Amino acid sequence: MDVLSLDLLVVALRLATPVAFVALGELFSERAGIINIGVEGSALAGALIAGIVAHYSGSAWLALAAAVGIGMLLGFIHAIWCVYLRANHVVAGAAVNILVAGLALFLTVLVWDWRGRSASVVSLDPWILVWLLLVLVVVAQVFLFRTRWGLRLRVVGEHPQAADTAGINVYRTRVAYSVLTGALCGLAGAFLVNNLGRFTAGMVGGRGFIGIAAMVVGNYKPIPAFLAAYLFGFVDALQMRLQDVIPSEISMMLPYVLTVIVLAGFLGKANVPAALGKPYIKEQG
Amino acid sequence: MNERERSVRGEAVRMEGIVKRFPGVTANAGIDLSLNYGEVHGLLGENGAGKTVLMSVLYGLYRPSEGQIYLEGNPVSIDSPAVAIRAGIGMVHQHFMLVPRLTVADNMVVGWETSRGPFLDRKRIRKRIKELSEQYGLEVDPDSAVEELSVGEQQRVEILKALYRGAEVLILDEPTATLPEQEVEAFFTTIRAMRDEGKAMVFITHKLREALTICDRVTVLRKGEKVGTVPTTDATEAQLAEMMVGREVVFEVQRDRVASEGRPLLQVEGLSAVDDRNVPAVEGVDLTVHDHEILGVAGVQGNGQTELVEAICGLRSAVQGHVMLNGEAVTGSSPRKMAEAGLVHIPEDRHRRGLVLNFSVAENAILGRQYEAPFAIGHVGQSKRAIAGYARELVERFSVVVPGVRTPARALSGGNQQRVILARELDRKPKVIVAAQPTRGLDVAGIEFVWEQLLAMRREGAGILLVSMDLDELMTLADRLVVMYQGKLVGEHRPGETDKQQIGLLMLGGAVETS
Ligand SMILES: Nc1ncnc2c1ncn2[C@@H]1O[C@H](COP(=O)(O)OP(=O)(O)OP(=O)(O)O)[C@@H](O)[C@H]1O
Ligand SMILES: [Mg+2]
Repeated sequence: MDVLSLDLLVVALRLATPVAFVALGELFSERAGIINIGVEGSALAGALIAGIVAHYSGSAWLALAAAVGIGMLLGFIHAIWCVYLRANHVVAGAAVNILVAGLALFLTVLVWDWRGRSASVVSLDPWILVWLLLVLVVVAQVFLFRTRWGLRLRVVGEHPQAADTAGINVYRTRVAYSVLTGALCGLAGAFLVNNLGRFTAGMVGGRGFIGIAAMVVGNYKPIPAFLAAYLFGFVDALQMRLQDVIPSEISMMLPYVLTVIVLAGFLGKANVPAALGKPYIKEQG
Repeated sequence: MNERERSVRGEAVRMEGIVKRFPGVTANAGIDLSLNYGEVHGLLGENGAGKTVLMSVLYGLYRPSEGQIYLEGNPVSIDSPAVAIRAGIGMVHQHFMLVPRLTVADNMVVGWETSRGPFLDRKRIRKRIKELSEQYGLEVDPDSAVEELSVGEQQRVEILKALYRGAEVLILDEPTATLPEQEVEAFFTTIRAMRDEGKAMVFITHKLREALTICDRVTVLRKGEKVGTVPTTDATEAQLAEMMVGREVVFEVQRDRVASEGRPLLQVEGLSAVDDRNVPAVEGVDLTVHDHEILGVAGVQGNGQTELVEAICGLRSAVQGHVMLNGEAVTGSSPRKMAEAGLVHIPEDRHRRGLVLNFSVAENAILGRQYEAPFAIGHVGQSKRAIAGYARELVERFSVVVPGVRTPARALSGGNQQRVILARELDRKPKVIVAAQPTRGLDVAGIEFVWEQLLAMRREGAGILLVSMDLDELMTLADRLVVMYQGKLVGEHRPGETDKQQIGLLMLGGAVETS
């Protein structure tokens, strides 16, 4: 059997897309200093809303917009928690994940009368979103390192006090990029629905977390983060072929095992933004 | 506007009746300050007098509780640094506001970028930095990362950063506190160049001699109130000191010669260590500190002193060599073991190593002893009462100015933060004290206080390793003096037998002579 082929590379790209959207999203948050592990739930929320809106409106484009919108809303709420209420970033993110997981079961029953999945819905050609991703990755790379906003973003995540004294509004910057993270997670979710033609509650299946891992492996840089996500997609594609050869229980573990191994090698070597996860307390009276 | 016009432009800033209250403290109690173009205006006062707060109000970091600021005669409300920058006000902070990982150029322009469309115009930025560097004699390489720069270079970056933003009013908060003596003159040349350009500058310092040298007028604050503004032409050091403290200050330290018994307390043999970037920073250092003795280590910052101190105190692993405490090998022991064996450390970076800024003064006062009775109850409990009581006693004994022991350490003035650290470490009755820049940023009374404390410890028999940039301090306190240059110790001297010039020369790598 021809396991390795050009076809495999193409399938890999498709499988990597949701991971890469999340990786890109997490990158903006963390560069601003906010950890968002709620990306998993945000992507699921995007998928859920995309399914529901497509179901009722019959418009795949409207569904896409709704997915982005819900992502932005969740990103905004996360930012308010972390920036203004100084909640623990990880706890706030976990809350989103739990909330959305519950909501997915509840709303699928309400809308389709099925627990955890939808009927098939109208969808776009998923390749539209793949191309969008590729464009965004390049734009993000340029944005981060060549534009003034990118520079400000990096300073906010590294040394918020320096940013503040340089006349940059740290709080507003953090909120804005957290919203952007949400939007990208929404796109990840929308892609999954358009790819499958329906919603299922398990469709994100850890891809949000793997997106975070890809971003770390990519050392907080858009193009390397994309490549790390692509590696995941590639192994995922490969394991699907291998299912004929080895038991699927084992092959399906491969992408996750790979993630753990690669992460173990990279963790501690990445240039983590210095102020990541720390609230910025503006000295005021 | 040309230069001539600028210098006759008159009053740049007038602050009227500025009041700034924090919970429990009035940091500024109705202060008036007038600042002219073409003037260097000194701002003096003891630790906690309110200098930084007053300037933070001018820079938009704090909103005043009362009072009004005028820029060129117009009332303004400066509620953020962004507004201040746009109004032509720049500030070089007591603690630098630079991102270590970014380049000099990026640090300089962030928030005020020169761009072509959305893109940073790195070519024009570099050109502008070069122009400013040349104009004011502030040499830096725009492309090197800030983490690779010495303190002096970082300071140049900070000044250039303000100039890049078009600052006409420049606030300098203790710029010379971290500057090696050899670089102060060059720094003053820059200040004079800026003054001749017509810029208005506020210069905060604890060194009265510097204030008299470089300032045109000085304003003295005491406990949040303004004592007065005087022209430096007819002021003396003694007079200024009296204004600051409210009483006459004697600049003399009782320095009784106690004979050492010659018992070595701290012995370091062939110690080598690398810095954070794995570059050798300390190379084969030998030194011995005896009982009743202060061994001074002079040197320009960045010659391995930081790494030497950390390697001795167990905060950095030694590549080679031994450290012996009281005859026992302690190389590589944990700081806790070190402290229990009688060695305490007064760190040079009080924010990174000395205090947990978000913790209260009380919690900071027992850091490192949290497991001891009466602070700990069993293995998990902590006695808040014992901790607070002890902290109150320390605050009292070491004259820390603080509203209460539950105030977070970050709300203390720089000098008072240092007092908390000193109080904590010296109260452990150590046999060996490793003190790095212990008087940096302290006012006259504070310096006097630390010196007295160190000498008292010495009288009681402690051995002290004193690392300092301040040659006067070393000449006053040290029994023996060594110079650290590029990771090695060069020459040993007895203060009194050598002069400052000779040591200064050694610090810059001048000929090593064995006397
Ligand atoms: N953010 C804050 N919250 C509460 N109190 C503060 C805050 N900042 C400063 N203070 C208090 O205001 C007073 C003045 O502090 P300030 O930092 O202006 O002193 P300073 O004159 O600059 O002293 P130093 O020479 O030690 O730097 C101090 O008593 C300090 O504890
Ligand atoms: Mg100060």
